[in-house]
Amino acid sequence: MKLSEMKVNARGRVRDLKGEPRFLNRINSVGLNEGALFQVVRNDRKMPVLVYVRETLLALNRKDCEKIEVTEVGA
Amino acid sequence: MNTIALLGQPNSGKSTMFNQLTGSRQHVGNWPGKTVEKKYGTFQIGGTKYTVVDLPGSYGLSGNSDEEIITEKFIKEGHADLVCVLVDASQLERSMYMLADFAAIDIPAVLILNMMDVAKGQGKTINASLLSQRLGIPVLPFTAADGKEYDKLKSPIEKEIKNPHRLITKPAASKENADANEKYAWIGTLLDGVTKAGSSEFKLSKFDQKLLHPVIGKIISIGIILLGFLVAMMICVPVMGVAGMLPGLIGPPIANFLRGLNVHPWLVSVFSLLIPNTLYFCASMSAFVLGVNIVFGFLEEIGFLARVAYQFDGTLSKLGLQGKAVAPILMGFGCTIGSTTGTRVMDNWGQRMLTIIVAWAVPCGSIWSIIPVVSNMFFPVWGTALVVIGIFAYMVILMWIVSKVFGNKLVAEDQRSGMIMELPPYHKAHWGHILKEAWFKCRDMFMRAIKTVTLVSIIFWIFSYSPSGTVESSLLYKVGTAIEPVTKFFGLGWQTFMAFISGAFAKEAVLGTLNAVFAGQSNLADVAFHGYTGSVDTMALTGYMTQAISGAEALAFIFGVTFSVPCLMALSTTYRESHSLKWTVRTAAFYVGAALILSCIVYHVSALFML
Repeated sequence: MKLSEMKVNARGRVRDLKGEPRFLNRINSVGLNEGALFQVVRNDRKMPVLVYVRETLLALNRKDCEKIEVTEVGA
Repeated sequence: MNTIALLGQPNSGKSTMFNQLTGSRQHVGNWPGKTVEKKYGTFQIGGTKYTVVDLPGSYGLSGNSDEEIITEKFIKEGHADLVCVLVDASQLERSMYMLADFAAIDIPAVLILNMMDVAKGQGKTINASLLSQRLGIPVLPFTAADGKEYDKLKSPIEKEIKNPHRLITKPAASKENADANEKYAWIGTLLDGVTKAGSSEFKLSKFDQKLLHPVIGKIISIGIILLGFLVAMMICVPVMGVAGMLPGLIGPPIANFLRGLNVHPWLVSVFSLLIPNTLYFCASMSAFVLGVNIVFGFLEEIGFLARVAYQFDGTLSKLGLQGKAVAPILMGFGCTIGSTTGTRVMDNWGQRMLTIIVAWAVPCGSIWSIIPVVSNMFFPVWGTALVVIGIFAYMVILMWIVSKVFGNKLVAEDQRSGMIMELPPYHKAHWGHILKEAWFKCRDMFMRAIKTVTLVSIIFWIFSYSPSGTVESSLLYKVGTAIEPVTKFFGLGWQTFMAFISGAFAKEAVLGTLNAVFAGQSNLADVAFHGYTGSVDTMALTGYMTQAISGAEALAFIFGVTFSVPCLMALSTTYRESHSLKWTVRTAAFYVGAALILSCIVYHVSALFML
């Protein structure tokens, strides 16, 4: 599934990142690489998705979140 | 020699450290052939001079933007004798990514664990000596915003320049360069036993649950920002008050003294009127910059502005901007100079320039104080309310037009990066640092303002000087009436056109100019400059203006002057911040042109309904 489709408080692992090198580098540099574990903190309509990863609270643009393939993991 | 480079992600506290190290010994220029700002400065330790370079903000060294290419090239070519890599100690694993990128380059380095105060507050401990052992370079726990910490830096810097250390480890790479997974694996091994990973469970605080709520959060955000402006006013009004007494206090004694020496009356009024008023004017403008910067500096540092940026990301993406642009745009309601320097938070030059141009559309505090005064002369209270609503509505339209006209050239559609921003944990404000930064900006502004405003005041003064004492013998009148046939088309008679021009220099001068050109009988220059000090007799001016011009012209003037070039200092600051003369001129030309077209439309449309 896509990161933007995840429910609040659900945890997941990054499966695949799509997009151009600029985006990939940027998203890697803030802690989201393949295999990174994260928690969705807020996911409101028309708002950036709030994700907690590597002890950092990140706001990610909604459209960009569609380029992030994730798998949900149990608590 | 002795060149130290600062390397770190944009929120690593790199600029804070640069400013604290160098104080006012800073130089700003351009990297060759690029619009990217080059900041360097000097400081001394025990009589030895060091040069410190603030490398342009980048998230890594992968060459994805002008900023990253410059930074990488500078380090690789060995321009730095020592690189200070700054990481955020409160989010160590993630921010070590920069060090993982840097590790591919073999240059002497020191690792600075910044924001130790925040990390300690979260109960985190970091074994710096173990990390240092593993890396082979010194590792220094630090809090860049705390001025008292800088003594700790001195001896490591001295030692490392003399006897440098290089990293003894780097990420294993399966290809030419290590990929992200290999970098994080390297970081993981390094940090094992150095620090305990914090809880992977995250809960928003009660306050953040409200502040990050899509509806309630926006209301709270706007409320706090409005409160911020109130505080900013409380800071700058007393300064303005004191400065406002200046012309009255020093003007007459100077005048008496010079008259006693029998100098030409022309010179008397330059020294007793023009110079004290220019001083007052620059002081009050700087006070504005000071107030706005203290408040926004505080809101930024405690972590509030990042949350506001999150709230308004969706709205701003419609303008081709991202959430971070919200702070500078809001600062624009206080002062356009503040908003222009506030764009430093933007990720790259294109986004930054676009934010500057969009923020120009926001009417600043000074023009908001003029709109109701002029509007009340011609229209009832409800009419003025409509004018204010109209101004707001057009502001939004103008921002949209700006984004359509300039958006694609500055930030190409496929280059538009959405918001990827960290929301920092709330932290306590370091007041010393906030005040120092605001003070530097204010002082810098004052020094530049003195030069430009004095020059323009003199030009205006020459134009408005009337040997006979009546308006008709001034240059201003002659030029104004000569071009009136043209300006009339745009809805502005010669008087309002002159006030429109003076508004592009300084909005504070608008009422004075109106007073001068409409009052007529007295010496134009004297009346205009007295206008700065706010001693315009509104009642009398209402009488003159309502007799001389129509409501339609007044309305055209209000709209035109509001949306023209904000002021000369905003223009000069835009050039300084953008480092691009071409874009500064384009922006100014666009705003003057758009304002004239606007006043033309407003005049001809409203003339259909008004007498």
